[in-house]
Amino acid sequence: MRRHELNRRGFLKLAGVSSVAFGAATTGLPSPLRASAEARKNRGQRFTTYDRGVKTPNFCEMCFWNCGVDVYTRDGKVHKLEGNKLNPNNRGHLCAKGNAGIQSTYDPDRVPGPMIRVGERGEGKFKKVSWEEAFDEVHRRLAPLLDKYGGETLATFMHGTGEQYAHTLTLALESPNITVPAYSQCMGSREMAWALTFGTGVSGHETYDMAYSKHMMIFGRNMAGAIQVREAEDFAEGLARGARLTYIDPRQSESAVRATDWLQIQPGTDGALALGFIHVIIRDRLYDVDFITKYAHGFNELQAHVKQFTPEWAEKKCGIDARTIERIAWEFAKDAPNVVAIPARRMTRYGNDTQTVRAIAILNALMGNWGVPGGIFVRTSVPLELPEHEHPEVPDVQRADGVGEGEAYPLAPPSLGRTNGIFEATLTQKPYPIKAWLLYGTNPLSHSSIGVNKIFEAIKNLDLIIAIDTQFSDTVMYADIVLPESTYLERDDAPFIQKDKIPFVALRKAAIKPIYDTKGAFDICKGIAEKFELDDWFEERSPEQQNAALERALTKEQRETLERDGVLRFEDVDPYPVASGSRPVFMTGTGKVQLFVDDLVAMHKEHGEAFSPLPVYLDPPEPKTGEFRLLFGRTPHHSHARSQNNWILLELQSDTPVWIHPDDAHKLGIKKGDKVQIHSDATGYTSRPEAVKITRRIKAGSLFINHGFGHRTPLWHLGDLKGTKDNYFISDGIDPISGAAAFHNGFVTITKATS
Amino acid sequence: MSKSPVNTKLNKEKNLAMVIVGDRCIGCDACYVACKTDWEVPALKEAYRTKVYEVEGVDNHGNPTIGFLPTLCNHCDNAPCVSVCPTGASFKREEDGIVLVEPDMCIGCKACMVACPYDARYYDEEKQSVDKCTFCLPRISNGLDPACVTTCVGESRNFGDLNDSGSVVSQLIRNATSIARLKEDEGTLPNVYYVTVSDY
Repeated sequence: MRRHELNRRGFLKLAGVSSVAFGAATTGLPSPLRASAEARKNRGQRFTTYDRGVKTPNFCEMCFWNCGVDVYTRDGKVHKLEGNKLNPNNRGHLCAKGNAGIQSTYDPDRVPGPMIRVGERGEGKFKKVSWEEAFDEVHRRLAPLLDKYGGETLATFMHGTGEQYAHTLTLALESPNITVPAYSQCMGSREMAWALTFGTGVSGHETYDMAYSKHMMIFGRNMAGAIQVREAEDFAEGLARGARLTYIDPRQSESAVRATDWLQIQPGTDGALALGFIHVIIRDRLYDVDFITKYAHGFNELQAHVKQFTPEWAEKKCGIDARTIERIAWEFAKDAPNVVAIPARRMTRYGNDTQTVRAIAILNALMGNWGVPGGIFVRTSVPLELPEHEHPEVPDVQRADGVGEGEAYPLAPPSLGRTNGIFEATLTQKPYPIKAWLLYGTNPLSHSSIGVNKIFEAIKNLDLIIAIDTQFSDTVMYADIVLPESTYLERDDAPFIQKDKIPFVALRKAAIKPIYDTKGAFDICKGIAEKFELDDWFEERSPEQQNAALERALTKEQRETLERDGVLRFEDVDPYPVASGSRPVFMTGTGKVQLFVDDLVAMHKEHGEAFSPLPVYLDPPEPKTGEFRLLFGRTPHHSHARSQNNWILLELQSDTPVWIHPDDAHKLGIKKGDKVQIHSDATGYTSRPEAVKITRRIKAGSLFINHGFGHRTPLWHLGDLKGTKDNYFISDGIDPISGAAAFHNGFVTITKATS
Repeated sequence: MSKSPVNTKLNKEKNLAMVIVGDRCIGCDACYVACKTDWEVPALKEAYRTKVYEVEGVDNHGNPTIGFLPTLCNHCDNAPCVSVCPTGASFKREEDGIVLVEPDMCIGCKACMVACPYDARYYDEEKQSVDKCTFCLPRISNGLDPACVTTCVGESRNFGDLNDSGSVVSQLIRNATSIARLKEDEGTLPNVYYVTVSDY
């Protein structure tokens, strides 16, 4: 279980409270043990001093959302991280992971220096080499592959602050195959649907104005569990101010804690429910006529199209009572426009995801909540003139991942790519041989989008895996060359510049010197580039130079503010242009909110219903009798891969109990306290025995486990083999519009463990 | 006039209290980590100064419910840990009511751990002393909020002086639509309050 029962601390029993001590305590001690009056007077003196130490500005790298951090050091050692009060990403708070960032830096299992693999892949046997030797080795092994197969044989996966350097290096080596897993393994379908409708994505820092919302309608976005600090703050603030919360999820997650209505929906049918809401809202004329008339494209088509999606139809699909659908639609519209409908963040679920989010986006549009408080706020860019860096041109070569004009996924953004496409290309060596991977802060052998079973096959085709990482991840175990990056507490970085509700700039300055023989991403990528005589692309690009360029763009007063606070906010912006009476800008093909998407018409004709320019619901595949759908999701205590060897976070959670509904458990004879194993015929994997959590908080027919566990990294003393890895059991589906993955059609059996 | 909702029995110069707005806790456990980090609490699952319990229940319709209960030392005005301590190592500061353990005087008998109804104490092998929440006395003595309050993502935790009518905690108590304390029936007079507030 995630948290203990409310009982006595285990070690009280274990450590033993001797009967002698007990006796002494209860009967009173002989006088020699009583403290002198002097000693009693001085009690507690030590508790009134606090050396806060030296503060350096930073932003968090425990996950990708870069909350502002004040790093406090004493005698050259980091002793405390605190949230930067002025950083809009977190307003002074840090989550459990952010607070535990120190342990990641002082983790004795970190990569101590550049490494070359000497054992078998996966065995974890490396020899430490100098940086010069490591860069030479990269050149010695990569150059012949580039010569033989062309630059495109290199595929790069990147995630983290140093991405810009891995990006430049890859383009300079003449490969177009750059991917960011955040698209195809996470937000891809959500961002695609939002962009088709509004001309912009939700963005990583989500634009839901929850703090001022009167009604949050949340479709499976676990605000309280899958924590991003600002979103969690706004969610809690909105609830505290009295917002209604309609929380839609087959699982009662942390976010259901104060739901006005928790709708335990049939998995994969969120689109049907959203269409049911739209039907009622249009049928009963509850939409914002003014907003729709001025700013929407295709309302008449939508009105005719949704006549079929009655609440009764939706009830049949999603299992939510038709009268409840009507009631909630009415309640939602009553508080418009200060309401917001929120799709899941990791919308890589059932393969109908882009269409589902299209329906949710349209729900928002009908409420006229764009650019108004409590609805969807509008972001503004940081108003600074910074030098544009010259980048190598994207080579004119077909991408390997099916992204691009005339390819299978023409709408997917080449800037992010499809990791699932790269995995497939590596497995099949089509459309051309992929022989080398460069990994920057990513862990595809643990979290992939074609199934871990296929990934292990795919990497057999690779002649070279180069990993830049702060730690020995599952994938680093398989790398041929490991180039260790300094952690965020040990390195300077380029300024963090965020387009947002309050746009801002934040600084990262090294609080301590690197503990091990590590470098920042700039020095690592430039070091490789030098061996290929491509380091010209890294001129004027160092963190130091980019910080200096920023300073030149600032006024004296701004410089002083940034120096003092570690963050500089630009508050002269209007996140609520529609409420202010300004005309909003929609960067869509029609310049309007697209209820109907013209860009999908041709594909709709050619490929069918999945590409409908009006939102549709498509049934997800269903499990066979005796099988369960495996759902998974985040815990507030861990990230995908960066938190698993962190002792303090492991104290909070170190296992993945399997959630099952009591009716299902009863049928299978599974009882509280049993260990269970799950098995997938599709992937052939069986889990190790895990605890079972029998609860009505999960929908019958589905199982749930937390994501981010089950890592296999023999060089980790704490985090190796903790819990079960969802990735062994999930599906390898694809959303046809976005090209992003669909994970939630993984079907498994569950049995009581015999051992 | 009904009796005061807060402790007034002791004539303290400052009446320090934690006021937790229960509805705002999202169970993220940031407090647990901030606290353990600041005070170098041993790397043991059983050693902590604050902890959030996930409380599962069932509503009137038989549907499951969940809630979160943040816990810490209650710095009781009638503290069983203090009265049971044979050496005087566990003591309550007269000026502000903070309950502390003086490590030099602790003999490790753990009677206080047994006596505490809130399971708020642990034994630190390295210090050879029982240890516990100090209301972050080192921090508050130097103008900072307690570590758990500083990091609280939901802004559920509030700390201050109930003798100061302008303090956030006094305002919360005044505006509270409900006030509860843990195990009040044990007569411990705890100084951690759980409130619901409707007016923000």
